[in-house]
Amino acid sequence: MAIRDDEIIRIDAPPMKRGERVYIPELAKGMVVTMRHFFTSFGQGRTSRTIQYPEERREQKSVEDGGQLAQNFRGVHRLNRDEEGRVKCVACMMCPTICPANCIHIVAAESPWDDREKYPAKFEIDELRCIFCGMCEEACPVDAIELTTEYDVIGLTRQEMVFDKEKLLSIYDVTIDKKPM
Amino acid sequence: MLDFIDAQFLVSVTVILIVIHVILLTVAYLIYLERKISAYIQDRIGPNRVGPLGLLQPIADGLKFMLKEDYRPTGADKILFTMAPLIIIVPALIGWAVIPWGGYWVTPEFDLPLLGTIESQTVLVAAANVNIGVIYLLAIAAMGVYGVTLGGWASNNKYSFFGGLRASAGMISYEIPLGIAILTILLTAGSVHPQRLIEIQSYEGWYILAHPIAALTFFVCILAEANRAPFDNAEAEQELVGGYHTEYSSMRFALFFLAEYAHMITSSAFLILLFFGGYHLPLIGLTHPESTGLLAVLAKCSVFFFKVLLIISFQMVIRWTVPRIRWDQVMKLAWNDLIPISIAIIVTTSVFVYVGWTAWWQMLLMNLAVGAVILAIMPLLPKLEINKRIPLAGSRFNPLPGEQVRTMATGLAAQDDAPGAEGDATRRSQRVSDIQPTLR
Repeated sequence: MAIRDDEIIRIDAPPMKRGERVYIPELAKGMVVTMRHFFTSFGQGRTSRTIQYPEERREQKSVEDGGQLAQNFRGVHRLNRDEEGRVKCVACMMCPTICPANCIHIVAAESPWDDREKYPAKFEIDELRCIFCGMCEEACPVDAIELTTEYDVIGLTRQEMVFDKEKLLSIYDVTIDKKPM
Repeated sequence: MLDFIDAQFLVSVTVILIVIHVILLTVAYLIYLERKISAYIQDRIGPNRVGPLGLLQPIADGLKFMLKEDYRPTGADKILFTMAPLIIIVPALIGWAVIPWGGYWVTPEFDLPLLGTIESQTVLVAAANVNIGVIYLLAIAAMGVYGVTLGGWASNNKYSFFGGLRASAGMISYEIPLGIAILTILLTAGSVHPQRLIEIQSYEGWYILAHPIAALTFFVCILAEANRAPFDNAEAEQELVGGYHTEYSSMRFALFFLAEYAHMITSSAFLILLFFGGYHLPLIGLTHPESTGLLAVLAKCSVFFFKVLLIISFQMVIRWTVPRIRWDQVMKLAWNDLIPISIAIIVTTSVFVYVGWTAWWQMLLMNLAVGAVILAIMPLLPKLEINKRIPLAGSRFNPLPGEQVRTMATGLAAQDDAPGAEGDATRRSQRVSDIQPTLR
């Protein structure tokens, strides 16, 4: 459909005042602003916003100061355990189905326990492919997979960054105090 | 045989050896300074990991530049592509040759092996004692743009080429008010000898007092000449990727980078020489041209260098304050504003010099009067038409009621004009009329 002239809303820039047209007073005002920031943030002063990462971490700061919000943060995954220490997952294949990055690989097997039919014989998450969208967490019917607050995960090879079931369960053991289930 | 070796020769060689190293080191640390200043202005911290306070960062940067792959795109002009960084860095480094860092020095008489006695002499602590030094500086400063233009052209890249073109167009435009501003000073001083200019300023007051408008014009022009923000359109990242040095990597890019900062040092020294009294500081006898001891020379050198650093810091704060000006605005600023203003200034200055009113307060009053007149007539000037509006009605995006528009590829007429596609005239006109909207 064509655009009509009467449909166009015209927004004009406000006309410049005399002082603005001369430009130099406005330039001086801008210099005052930049110099104020220069002196207030000099040497990590009052207005400085940098978090010096390896020494300072976001967890140490309050949310108002740009710290981490633990409930909402989406870090590396973990596999939760139930009360008896078994893996909670029932290998229902919901998370690999919904995963937009195709990074979850589950091999299901018959469960050795009576309370469920299946359990994951293999459970692998490729942390390099993962986009940390948190959809696996939302899809899981038994709250078995969860994203933790850990974000500085490193590895020297790609293979190292494919986390298997044991690794994911061990992340649960490490992070259960920080982020209760 | 070695008659030419006198005190002036030895001092010149020493100055060359010292100043070239000091300038290259300063250039490296200016990059650090700029990163720190920009970081603090933007509420960041800046480099602080390499060495204490990040002071070894320039060395790490230099090492990285050397280890990078030296890449040359296919289709690039081999010779010019290599020569352009050299062409840009040489003028930036030889410009300071005539800057009198330390003024006159009465050397003591001393003996040297092989050469015999070096007699006491009044020498100029500069690389060269040239009595047309200001003209030399003006000529050298304009040569830096060759490197930019050739680098952009040799890269075989449209964006680089645009950057080079912009640099040369900017140089042509800004050289005029720059030259006129210098001419204003030369008219008042009656000399083109750099040392003489400083002497006159130390007796009659700095020329920033006598010629504030010329100083402002000059400052804007050296910003534009050195391709510094807000005039860095030749390397505009948002429009031209990286401008003239898009295709450069490794040490060749580093040379472009160094040249920009070396150019800043040279042009700032030029500004201080002309308007801020060179090495002279009022009320401090040691920096007066009449004191010629060794201590005075050292004090003068440090004062000159400190002033250069101040001006460069000011340029950096400008860079992180003022947004980049659009290219047509850059051209308008030169041709519509700076050139008329500087011509007005030079005409009034020459009248004043002819009449003999050359005291600094008379010149200052003249500048204020000219500024007031400019401000008074500015609203009377015809306004430039900006943001021109074209009505939609009748255009092919918005047909009138009852109008039928056939949108076709616009390239048909152009295809017929292509070589080897000789269509007869009637067919071509038919096709052209096909494209036109037909009113029913």
